[in-house]
Amino acid sequence: MRKILLIAAAAFGCTMAQAGLEARAQDFSKTKIDVIVKATTSQYWATVFDGARAAAKVLGVQIATLGAPSELDAAGEVSIMENAISAKPAGIVIAATNAQALAEPIAAATKAGIPVIVIDSNANTDQYVTFLATNNETGGQKAADEIARCVKARTGNATGKVAYLTALAGAQSLNDRDKGFVEELKKYPGLTIVEHRVGNNMADRSLADSEDLLTRHPDLVAMFADNELEGDGAGTALSEKGLGSKVCLVAFDTSDTEIKFLRTGIIDALIVQNPYIMGYAGVWYALAAAHGVVFPKFVDSGVSVVTKDNMESPQMVGLLDPNKYVLSPFLGAQ
Amino acid sequence: MSQGALTRSVEKEAQGTFLAELRHRLPLETYVLALTVLVWVLLAIISPYFWTAGNITNILRQVSIDAILAFGSLFPIILAGIDLSVGSVAGLSGVVFSMLIANAGQGLLVAFVATLAMGIVIGIINGWATDRLGIPPFIVTLAGLQGYRGLALLLSGGMTISGMPAGLQAFSLSSVAHVPTLFLLMAVIGFCAHFMLAYTRLGRYMYAIGSNAEAARRVGIRVIHVTTIAYALAALFATISGLLLVARLSMGTPTAATGSELQAIAAAVVGGASLFGGRGTILGCFIGSLLFTTIGNGANLLGINSFWQMVIEGLLIAFVVYFDNLQKRRQAGMG
Repeated sequence: MRKILLIAAAAFGCTMAQAGLEARAQDFSKTKIDVIVKATTSQYWATVFDGARAAAKVLGVQIATLGAPSELDAAGEVSIMENAISAKPAGIVIAATNAQALAEPIAAATKAGIPVIVIDSNANTDQYVTFLATNNETGGQKAADEIARCVKARTGNATGKVAYLTALAGAQSLNDRDKGFVEELKKYPGLTIVEHRVGNNMADRSLADSEDLLTRHPDLVAMFADNELEGDGAGTALSEKGLGSKVCLVAFDTSDTEIKFLRTGIIDALIVQNPYIMGYAGVWYALAAAHGVVFPKFVDSGVSVVTKDNMESPQMVGLLDPNKYVLSPFLGAQ
Repeated sequence: MSQGALTRSVEKEAQGTFLAELRHRLPLETYVLALTVLVWVLLAIISPYFWTAGNITNILRQVSIDAILAFGSLFPIILAGIDLSVGSVAGLSGVVFSMLIANAGQGLLVAFVATLAMGIVIGIINGWATDRLGIPPFIVTLAGLQGYRGLALLLSGGMTISGMPAGLQAFSLSSVAHVPTLFLLMAVIGFCAHFMLAYTRLGRYMYAIGSNAEAARRVGIRVIHVTTIAYALAALFATISGLLLVARLSMGTPTAATGSELQAIAAAVVGGASLFGGRGTILGCFIGSLLFTTIGNGANLLGINSFWQMVIEGLLIAFVVYFDNLQKRRQAGMG
């Protein structure tokens, strides 16, 4: 019954649009969109939710913000997804915590007629509307370039030992970052990767790993941490050992701790994605897709390099603090 | 057979018995300690960075928080119970402590005392539910494992809480005479716990209840009091390790110490505690924790794949428990 109503609403919406009437006249207050993230415990995903809520407010739709507490919990996300499918929302926005585990549920949702917008991390399926994400390989490449720049600025030439930390095994976005990083670093023949550690996405573990790594390689010149919890741990290790001005650290994302380290010079550059836009555009796309709009299979949400020098600039402030994110008005109503 | 040969044979047998008896009498800790020392020596030989002041300090700091958690989980194990909630209690304490400071603007001391009090109350509930309501401790604390973690996530909104005073992290990094303060704190706590278990009536009661609860009850031991105290201590120690985790990372994380209850129990078991109760020491717990920390450190220093590290830890637990069983069977055979 609900499905019929939805289709009717969709048809009505299309007619309205064709009639050249204002799209805002449509009442979406009964329309629900589920936003499912990889972990509810990180600021990154909270920013996705912020963006999603902002879009929901503009569009007048309801959203449910869902997710397992830990990125390790692929099974948890699968069951959230299954529950969502049975509740038949107008659309689902999801970040896949595990490419394989979420492939089947995403395909099932599409089969059930629910448009799925995959954000941030893809799954091993093509049964979705669009994949809206950071080009993680580009992010990894930028990290490698920043490391080369930082090492060169400190020692005069880009040579020395480099280590990198992966937060978790089996996550596509992290694999892509690492791949981009490793490939790009080959352009700097003086920089050699001597170590790679895989953690369990917990800051205390990455702290211990980083400490041991710095012990093993006293002559390390640079580290790359591929997400915020790794960045927190690696930064804490550098500040504990007083190596902030010696080892160049480039990390992904923007936790409070990372921003503090950026300000104090422990972290030299943050590779920043745009989770706000992922949440915002994700909800927007889901609603549009539910009304028949066709999207390209991949949409790049952008990736920026924030350093101590540019962190106060208007473009970067919003990326570091979602509360200061300002979208230029483009709806007329806002 | 000549007289001489007979004497020699008897002597030999006596010697054999003595060695056999020694082997049977030596507590399991001895073997685990020997294994730990062996791993240390091997690592010192293989890795030029292992036996350095910086690395030893790292190990001492890393083992401290894990060991305190393991000490706590030992008390219920001695009672033939188990506390699966210690990791979640540590996570919840970290969240409550950091929120009291960052959100409620309380001082360190108030936050500290309030969080410890919360920990003790949680422990008392666990002990009371186990003994008075007769619910198996596995179930009571399994509920705690879920419930307290959920509460930590709920309170924090699933977010990490930053804004800790700088002094807190400085404390976790400080040293007294080149020994990390964290390690000294762990040593003091461990010594108190050891003293309690080995030299006080309460400690002896714990072993007595763990060996035979019914007998202990019949000789007039107030089983409910002892049980409640054991679970309260487990939660208290978990709370302390949760606070130290906050100090170390300078932030409260609702997912902190996830899964560490199993590592704590593993450390206690590897250190000679029996899940059937009546056996286990603080020293053994410490050695077990040290062995696990060393394996993690060694894997990093040697660049061993982190997944192999988990396999090695698993094999270690299996091996130690097998060895322990073997020894017990031999003992039983001797009569």
